[in-house]
Amino acid sequence: MHILLIEDDINAASYVIKGLKESGHVVDHASNGEEGEQLALTLKFDVIVVDRMLPKLDGLSLINKIRKEDIDTPILILSALGEVDEKVLGLKAGADDYLAKPFSFSELLARIEVLNRRTNPEIKETSLKVGSLSMNLLTRQVHRQGIEIDLQPREFRLLEFLMKRSNQVVTRTMLLEGVWEYHFDPQTNVIDVHISRLRSKIDKPFDGKEMLFTERGAGYALRSDD
Amino acid sequence: MLLAFSIGLVAFYLYLSTSRDFQTKIDNEIIQESIRLSQVHKRYKEVGLIREIQYLSKTPNPNLYILRDSNNKFIAGNFSDTDSLWNLTRLEEGGVLFSFEKKNNNGETVRKYYFRGKEFIVRNKYNLIVARDVSYENYLKERFFNTILSTSLLIIFLGLLGGYVLSRNFLNRISAINKTSLEIMDGDLSMRLPTSSNNDELNQLSLNLNNMLDRLNKLMIGMKDVSDNIAHDLRTPLNKIRTNLEVTLMSNPDSESYRETIKEVIDDVDSVINTFNSLLAISRVESGSVSLKKEKINIKNLIEDIVDLWEPLAEEKGVILNNECDIDIFLEGNKNLLSQAISNLIDNAIKYGGVENIVNVGSRDNADSILIWVSDTGPGIQDKDKEKVLDRFTRLDTSRNTSGTGLGLSLVASMIKFHKGTIELLDAKPKGLIVKLQIPSR
Repeated sequence: MHILLIEDDINAASYVIKGLKESGHVVDHASNGEEGEQLALTLKFDVIVVDRMLPKLDGLSLINKIRKEDIDTPILILSALGEVDEKVLGLKAGADDYLAKPFSFSELLARIEVLNRRTNPEIKETSLKVGSLSMNLLTRQVHRQGIEIDLQPREFRLLEFLMKRSNQVVTRTMLLEGVWEYHFDPQTNVIDVHISRLRSKIDKPFDGKEMLFTERGAGYALRSDD
Repeated sequence: MLLAFSIGLVAFYLYLSTSRDFQTKIDNEIIQESIRLSQVHKRYKEVGLIREIQYLSKTPNPNLYILRDSNNKFIAGNFSDTDSLWNLTRLEEGGVLFSFEKKNNNGETVRKYYFRGKEFIVRNKYNLIVARDVSYENYLKERFFNTILSTSLLIIFLGLLGGYVLSRNFLNRISAINKTSLEIMDGDLSMRLPTSSNNDELNQLSLNLNNMLDRLNKLMIGMKDVSDNIAHDLRTPLNKIRTNLEVTLMSNPDSESYRETIKEVIDDVDSVINTFNSLLAISRVESGSVSLKKEKINIKNLIEDIVDLWEPLAEEKGVILNNECDIDIFLEGNKNLLSQAISNLIDNAIKYGGVENIVNVGSRDNADSILIWVSDTGPGIQDKDKEKVLDRFTRLDTSRNTSGTGLGLSLVASMIKFHKGTIELLDAKPKGLIVKLQIPSR
């Protein structure tokens, strides 16, 4: 993946660059807004990561300018301003995701990867399929190996979220935001229990192949059993 | 001072006008009498006039008559001793004013007589004086004048004295306040401004400033406690991290134990970051520096969602989690803050509720306020600790060994404060703790 990182804090940037390179990505770095704008307008990137407070041109204006040029590369904002309202402001400006500082690298990585493979929101899907697991979004039925699985509404939404991001790591915060729409982190790990409940329904009865994995220190991933 | 001056002015005007009225009255009477006498003279000639005057002199009469010839020789009248005692002043408007002193045998003045009247020349031969004894009036006038003068002086004096005493007192109090302020500025926050029993503005000011100082002092102590606690709470995990790293470095580890140590360190650092995040969240909510938006929330849905989030965990821990809210209750508030507040309370209720715990979450519309409660059937909190647990970093001895930042309830308190509500910790019946959040519904 070719990633543009626009971040003026050289220290923070170097860690992020190192981590992204370790994960097999190619990173270009700009240390101010204008430089970032230049790069974004001249090269083709898979994902752009922007700090909100930048010298010369601030993050939100930068995003505005990029979007005006019809560049629809997924953009993730990094910001010390972590309140919900600030997030909304960032998303309105044209960003696709918003991550508050301090963040864990696995969170950033997971979000970048999800952004890269984000399904086009304009195509309304009616069914999802991951390996032997299938979901009908209209009839709200879930089948694995042809056997129907009975899910609670919340379990359905959780599985839908995971299936849309199959074979990618999804963090707890992403689940809280995406499935429950909570922008805070209940320190006790409530999500773990939800996942193990779901696992008991989609994995346990189908002995043999596990699909729902816990990625230690990072989150969860629904992987194809093919 | 101004008051005294104006009083004096009014009194003086009063004096002038009454004395002028008085003089005019006398003058008029004298003129009337002399007109009568001139008619007598016209009709009965000198003889008649002399006889009339002799008659008047014998009868009790308020007037004084003196008729003299051109050589100033006394002819008739009720006052004969003209030469020695007269101290005659001729007034501009044709009147006369004269006085004489009645002396006793030792030559001391016993009484001073004053007369006011007119002098007529009759046929170039006689000199007639008709006058009125104004001794008493003059006496009154003098008394009046003296009284006014002395009263005015007294008032001025008292005014000046009172003003001096008052301003002296006032300045003393101000300088006492100044002095105390300086001492407080020098760092003695326990000092208080002097107050008195009277309830004037200055005392009010002192009382208000003292209340302000009390509040500031409380905040300062709170801040100090918080920073002490931060230092303590952060030193512990940092120490742990350091030791962990040090020990790993000392041994001869393989890459797997490096990984293990690094994972542990990440967990420890995460807990430090969590503490900082919570602290920042509290201060942001408390200072209101963030433009936290309020919207119309259905508390029923809000509770349903949170219970939904916590229910699997509760079940896993053998805790029964009930949602007691089954009607729509609307509230103007910040959804994220309220969700987090209730979530924190449920977290606590599950964490500290012990075994066979039942956690109830509910809400009720009390007309002017919305009540939200989270109760458990655990050991509860002793009364003496109930205030304390709302403070930052308070972790009761009973909870020392469980994870947590000690900021959960402070965060709830700040979020409820943001909604101008109150938080109350009460004993649940028959046992356990019930936390009541009361949020005014406009």
